[in-house]
Amino acid sequence: MLLVSAAPTVLPSSLAPAALADFLTAPTRFLFFTGKGGVGKTSLACATAVALSDRGRQVLLVSTDPASNLDEVLGTPLGNQPTPIPAVPGLAALNIDPEGAARAYREKLVGPYRDKLPAAVVRGMEEQLSGACTMEIAAFDEFSRLLGQPEATAAFDHVIFDTAPTGHTLRLMKLPTAWKGFLDASTTGNSCLGPLAGLAQQRGVYDRAVAALADGDRTTLVLVSRAQKAALHEAERTSGELAAIGIRNQRLIVNGVFHATSADDPVAAALERRGADAVRAAQNFLQRLPVTEVPLRPHNLLGIPALRQLWSGGEARASAATTAAPALPPLASLATLVDDLARAGHGVIMTMGKGGVGKTTVAAAIAIEIARRGLPVHLSTTDPAAHVAAAAGEIEGLVVGRIDPQAETKAYVDQVMATAGRNLDANGRAMLEEDLRSPCTEEIAVFRAFARTVAEGRGAFVVLDTAPTGHTLLLLDATEAYHREVAKRASDMPDEVVQLLPRLRDRAFTHVLIVTLPEATPVHEAAALQRDLRRAQIEPYAWVINQSFAGSGSRDPLLVARAANELPYIREVVEKCATRTVRIPWVTDEPVGPEKLRQFFPSPPPPSP
Amino acid sequence: MNTTAAAPRQLHVYDPAMCCATGVCGPQVDPVLVRFASDAQWLEAQGVAVRRFSLTQNPAAFVENELVRAALTAKGESALPCVLVDGRAVLFGEYPTRPQLTTWFNVTPSASTCDEPSGGCCS
Repeated sequence: MLLVSAAPTVLPSSLAPAALADFLTAPTRFLFFTGKGGVGKTSLACATAVALSDRGRQVLLVSTDPASNLDEVLGTPLGNQPTPIPAVPGLAALNIDPEGAARAYREKLVGPYRDKLPAAVVRGMEEQLSGACTMEIAAFDEFSRLLGQPEATAAFDHVIFDTAPTGHTLRLMKLPTAWKGFLDASTTGNSCLGPLAGLAQQRGVYDRAVAALADGDRTTLVLVSRAQKAALHEAERTSGELAAIGIRNQRLIVNGVFHATSADDPVAAALERRGADAVRAAQNFLQRLPVTEVPLRPHNLLGIPALRQLWSGGEARASAATTAAPALPPLASLATLVDDLARAGHGVIMTMGKGGVGKTTVAAAIAIEIARRGLPVHLSTTDPAAHVAAAAGEIEGLVVGRIDPQAETKAYVDQVMATAGRNLDANGRAMLEEDLRSPCTEEIAVFRAFARTVAEGRGAFVVLDTAPTGHTLLLLDATEAYHREVAKRASDMPDEVVQLLPRLRDRAFTHVLIVTLPEATPVHEAAALQRDLRRAQIEPYAWVINQSFAGSGSRDPLLVARAANELPYIREVVEKCATRTVRIPWVTDEPVGPEKLRQFFPSPPPPSP
Repeated sequence: MNTTAAAPRQLHVYDPAMCCATGVCGPQVDPVLVRFASDAQWLEAQGVAVRRFSLTQNPAAFVENELVRAALTAKGESALPCVLVDGRAVLFGEYPTRPQLTTWFNVTPSASTCDEPSGGCCS
């Protein structure tokens, strides 16, 4: 294992001496940062961009994350054109906002016809161009312009992409290959790619984008993970999938590695041990590619000075000035929340939030606790990185299921071929199969499975951990579009699909829990998610602050500093966001499996209102 | 394979707003769309020049054609699909069936006996 540390910290003897990662000393033209949400890829992409700019390079930093917080990290408002960052000469940044891109795209197509076609017809066009696929396509269009059109980035030595959470990234990155095949084969001219007017002219751009991605001399993929089993597992999965589509020049950063100051602090020792265990469990994967370690920091990386310190190693240690545990506002426990949820006797409980905040863990803990009270529970996940099965285990009354996108897509395709495709000749079937290979099919198949699962909440408890934010929003957006479609045209739509949105909006039926960490980015993204839910007329029931170090009792200076840093964000949640807030303290054993999840329900219960 | 077509024969279809020819992107696949997409491909293999215009992809075509624009203004989107044979409007608001197509274009109904997918003998 080649494990280099970004900063000169004390490392275990098994690790290599400190050195800068090669993607900083010999950077390729394109750098992609990817990983499960919340692992810190935006911070690392920004720090890398700042470091390269400080070495005199011209750098363009691009975010393709639908829930981008690049503005916040850089302290500069950004748009969809390169914006110079005043504090860093040579650095410019832009946000590919899929919704904004889709809006601009829609306007480009529809705008010229507003006064030429009847208003109802124009509205119909707009509606068709408001779906999930238009957003994917519009964002991808921007993305491949930067990658496949040399003149678009000619002014820059390096283009650094802070990509979206992994599921989205994979779709975005798999598309060039899929579409290239599609363009080669398509004869009908109309397709899901329809909104991309003049697709053929774009073809050269796509071809060059695909070539750039697969060229190791031009492109480096930097996988970002934490020293956590689920995050490392996700990084390994992404690594394999991207290698399979030709992106083989890969690096791994293990971010937020914690080393205890002294061995006699049990919380600090447990945190360090958990990290070491996770790294050991991923040994086979870590040996396959160059690995860089970035230590846990007392503060979150916001603003240019903090970013500059990341690769230079400053501020890696907290001063021992603050050792007293800060006072917390009184918050309810998870047990109290489960008491209230269980009272309804049935219904849907959805944990939502940015990837990596522990939605799956919280969902599993709640499901197990409800099952322990003798109530039937179905725990289900749409998270592509599902580890619900690992997180749950065997409990009486608890059924664990997974919405597997590939399996759902296959079942849906088979069903369409057996019904709509039944009376077609061979050519017709081939064409239908080709259309079903479009990126929309998975979206629809997953959506239908989701609707089916929600419908089960009529007779039992259904606990769902949803996919990362961007994907969730796309699903909800699709829900809304379908709902309008349903109202307009009576069809043999399954009843559970027709009923989905009304069910999600019914506060007696569906309880949405917003899960977050007590840190800046997760709280702000959760607040944005809540706004989006409210736009869809879905009102969250409670907020859950997960993995809180405040009140953990640790005296480790770094953990004390992090605990103190949590307070403003906990207050922000309580005072500005939530009508009801639950805090889950950080637990010493990794909460995987029914026994370890019981740590969330300590007895006797903690003092709470 | 080719069929005899003395005069240039054209089928122009002005589709309503949708994202793909088979409509598989919708929440429920419409079998009529799937069947017509297949029939259009079959007709093309018989030597008929088939073109489909999508309202979302190519609104200019809808504005430029007098017949289509007039129908849209009068009836709104329910005028679509609008089906033109050699520039003459023959059908509004529904897709033609294969028997209608065989009549209009005077082609053999059972011409498509080929089992190969596209790329085989039919293409």
